[in-house]
Amino acid sequence: MSSFLRQLIKTVRTSTVKSGVIANLARLQSTEAVSVKETRPTVRKSDELARTQLVDFGKYVADCLPKYIQKVQITAGDELELLIASEGVVPVLQFLKDHHSCQFSNLSDIAGMDVPCRPYRFEVIYNLLSVRFNSRIRVKTYTDELTPVDSCNGIYKAANWYEREIWDMYGVFFANHPDLRRILTDYGFEGHPFRKDFPLSGYVEVRYDDEKKRVVIEPLELAQEFRKFELSAPWEQFPKFRNAPPAVEEVKTNKQ
Amino acid sequence: MLRTTLAKVLNGAQFSPKNIAVITRAASDQAAKKPEKIEVFIDDIPVKVEPGTTVLQAAAMVGVEIPRFCYHERLAVAGNCRMCLVEVEKSPKPVAACAMPVMKGWRIKTDSELTKKAREGIMEFLLVNHPLDCPICDQGGECDLQDQSMAFGSDRSRFTDIDHSGKRAVEDKDIGPLIKTIMTRCIHCTRCIRFASEVAGVDDLGTTGRGNDMQVGTYVEKMFLSELSGNVIDLCPVGALTSKPYSFTARPWEIRKIDSIDVLDAVGSNIVVSTRTGEVMRIMPRVNEEINEEWLSDKSRFSYDGLKRQRLVTPMLRDSKGELKPVDWEVALLTVAKQLKNAGPSVGAIAGGFADAEVLVAVKDLLNKLGSEALCTEHTFPLDGSGTDLRSSYLLNNKIAGAEEADFVLLIGTNPRLEAPLLNSRLRKGYVHNELEVALIGPKVDLSYKYVHLGDSPSVLEQLVNGQHQISKKLTSAKKPLIIIGSEVLERPDGGAILSAVQKLCAATNPQTENWKVLNVLHKVASQVAALDIGYTPGVDKIRELSPKILLLLGADEGSIDKSDLSKDTFIIYLGHHGDNGAAVADAILPGAAYTEKQATYVNTEGRAQQTLTAVSPPGRAREDWKIIRALSEIIGATLPYDNLNEIRNRLDEVAPHLTRYGTAENANFFKQAEALSKSVKSQIDKTPFDVKLKELQDYFMTDSISRASPTMAKCVQAVIKQKQSKY
Amino acid sequence: MAQPLKKSLKQVKPILSLDKEEARKRVLHLYKAWFRQLPYIVRRYDIPKNVEQCRSKLREEFTKYDDIKDVRVIDMMIIKGQMELKETVNVWKQKGHIMAYFKDTIEPKPTDFLSKFLTSKD
Repeated sequence: MSSFLRQLIKTVRTSTVKSGVIANLARLQSTEAVSVKETRPTVRKSDELARTQLVDFGKYVADCLPKYIQKVQITAGDELELLIASEGVVPVLQFLKDHHSCQFSNLSDIAGMDVPCRPYRFEVIYNLLSVRFNSRIRVKTYTDELTPVDSCNGIYKAANWYEREIWDMYGVFFANHPDLRRILTDYGFEGHPFRKDFPLSGYVEVRYDDEKKRVVIEPLELAQEFRKFELSAPWEQFPKFRNAPPAVEEVKTNKQ
Repeated sequence: MLRTTLAKVLNGAQFSPKNIAVITRAASDQAAKKPEKIEVFIDDIPVKVEPGTTVLQAAAMVGVEIPRFCYHERLAVAGNCRMCLVEVEKSPKPVAACAMPVMKGWRIKTDSELTKKAREGIMEFLLVNHPLDCPICDQGGECDLQDQSMAFGSDRSRFTDIDHSGKRAVEDKDIGPLIKTIMTRCIHCTRCIRFASEVAGVDDLGTTGRGNDMQVGTYVEKMFLSELSGNVIDLCPVGALTSKPYSFTARPWEIRKIDSIDVLDAVGSNIVVSTRTGEVMRIMPRVNEEINEEWLSDKSRFSYDGLKRQRLVTPMLRDSKGELKPVDWEVALLTVAKQLKNAGPSVGAIAGGFADAEVLVAVKDLLNKLGSEALCTEHTFPLDGSGTDLRSSYLLNNKIAGAEEADFVLLIGTNPRLEAPLLNSRLRKGYVHNELEVALIGPKVDLSYKYVHLGDSPSVLEQLVNGQHQISKKLTSAKKPLIIIGSEVLERPDGGAILSAVQKLCAATNPQTENWKVLNVLHKVASQVAALDIGYTPGVDKIRELSPKILLLLGADEGSIDKSDLSKDTFIIYLGHHGDNGAAVADAILPGAAYTEKQATYVNTEGRAQQTLTAVSPPGRAREDWKIIRALSEIIGATLPYDNLNEIRNRLDEVAPHLTRYGTAENANFFKQAEALSKSVKSQIDKTPFDVKLKELQDYFMTDSISRASPTMAKCVQAVIKQKQSKY
Repeated sequence: MAQPLKKSLKQVKPILSLDKEEARKRVLHLYKAWFRQLPYIVRRYDIPKNVEQCRSKLREEFTKYDDIKDVRVIDMMIIKGQMELKETVNVWKQKGHIMAYFKDTIEPKPTDFLSKFLTSKD
């Protein structure tokens, strides 16, 4: 009997079992995140260095143009955005294009955005690319239906059609544009289709009338209801457990 | 039979969470001296809760919904899915939040690493044996497992299955024509089992085997047939139990959901009508604690396919050969108007079970303009005593939710299980959790709980009134007695005498609670209360007497009046939505809208006004009912003064203000006066035994023009008959 | 009272015109431009309308917006009107576009209950 007990004690004392128990306890009691090196990352991790550089650059631009830049922010982890007043479109873009350490020589896109609840409901968004530094920047400004924005056609020739598109889709007027007219909609089309208050189905329907031998335009009458999709995310029923990173992080500038 | 005793509830309260989760309104009464609240911390937010509250409920109080599969607030706690595991500080293991009552000072971490890891692990275990067939699964898009694996599951799989041994596969069961089973998808939450035995009272479902071999099923080859069976589809968190009629027809993100009201019984359950491209795809319950909680009876849920069949889609007139021929609205309206003009005041109307308050008022106004008062409902109600002048004598006065609080219920000539399944589920809830005793006068039927059967002879009622019956003492000593009388016995020739006897009986009881109403009438059709409120005469005797030249049937399909009752040249106009008995005898058919196709007011048996909303447009050339009457009135030259819904609602408001107070049940008054008037009734109760039409489950499914047209309901009847012949 | 006053004095960026008078001049200018072009439009487009009908339509299109007083709104409409004129004169538009001003195929909607009931439009 005693020999059996001794055997047992020996077993308990052996280091392997001991360490196993301790490890177990540690696992149960620790609630701290254990940093494990990801071997197969499924989500793209943002580059910290690139991010810091963007933040520094954003601060630098804000220092250079304090009159126009209202806010600098980083979105989606590694995209730099400058939020500017609408009077500042030309000087800011000129700066970004011509300054030696910017050289955003390429206007890749101009986009519009409509948020009807805001006092200035439209946003005009310029996406720039610096071929020299392999870097992108986004410049956002705001306006409403009746406030003209200065055309940047003088800086970027690419802006010509982009601005026509925004004029056509949102009804934002670009002052000093050489040829501001519709680009996508039909001649005689009324309204601006990308505005949020423009119905998805439009106001008119167009058909060929056999009697009149021409195309006629008539107010829309839907025989069948428009297909509607419910797209609310179902996992929002657990709002407490949403671990999404913040969409926008503001960069502190010297102005503030 | 499942029944928690009162003693168990009191003694076991602190320890058994099973009893805590049960929410009965009576529970608050029992806890006379309130125990001190205890403080716990959910993610460091302090919250004071009653002792015995579970971790999950405490977390819900501060707005943290803990993920779960097996826990359901209306069912007993099972605690077997483990999805709700959370960390409690200083506890060595995570605890199951749904089953663990909180202790003083507990610090619960609902989003710590340990909790996350536990959830991820459980999710992985569940998915090991769950098929990856979401693209062909009907639950896809509204599946708890999908949603929660998105929110809490791991972002990669460790399931490799090197040996190609496959996942667990389970044979599908045939449990009836309503519920489709794909048992491989089952995650063994046992919600369906608990629902069947606790709420439906049909102990058919259970589990066999254990561990990996566990299966949910019916032990023997048997169908799960209950009047509430469809609810397990909503309860199932995965796609193991899905709706058979709805299978592979639509996806939840592309359907449009419209809140509405069910009209297939007099309960007025709140429903959501799901439509896509102008077609009703399915009907689901909507939570209303005062009426249907979150359940729905099978007839209301599955008879929607009857809305697509046997429909009247165009106006029709009977030609010289006696055949019904489709015509245009202009022709139909002109013909009918000509007949009406010739008839003068000799016009009558009978309202059927689906007539809404708007059309009832429009018809009443039209007939009154023409100088007629012959407005009847298809279902009779005694006119002796106070008759239908006092609302108290024809309402379910104590409300549906009040039924579960009662301690003694006397049912007279009714089978609530089939006439109003959701009222019966309340009674069963009272029976299971609240020591409710039930006695029944009428034919012996299965109510899904035990009751004292007093026989079906009317003499029992007389004995009770005289206080000579052995159950009389119980009735008088009960603190919360209820007497529920079926509208069907009141349709007998001696209905007046029966109602008068019941009113005497009610007066003899001693309810101890304020505003407790003993007398309750249970109607069978949705339109009856509104019709009586508006001032229709119950029963068609008046029409028989008058034999009017023109008879307008408002969806009256029960065959309460025959051609032989009327003179030969009576012109019958049928205004309704289904080609049923009424349309067969009609000379002119004006197609109306069914309850999913109009915004209309219905008053349920409690006297609660509710409105349906337009989910789809009426088929073909059918129109909203009241508009037809309005158009007709203009052609006759007696134009009714309302052109749109608001205006007719204003008129409703003038007639009876409670009809437009949606959602609230207007209380009835003048109980004393009704009782006093009932004493004047001199007629005697005759000796015919009490009878009900709906005795067994197969009688339940096809009772009206919609459910009679429904193929699903026909299949249900077949299934019940087949089950009867099976040896189990 | 101070609130609306402040609002009316809000500084805004002009689009084209600096005051009402200038806007008025621009409107008249646009009207005259259209008016002068009408004979050519009628000739080029082969529409079943004569110049007289087109003139009344032109007047109708302009007087439709009589009640607009905001200078910037007027400017915006002048810009769009100018655009339309250019499209018309350059024959970028087609016959159907011109005839769309006349709305000759659109049937009036029923207004009384009975005709709404019979056409099932409400």
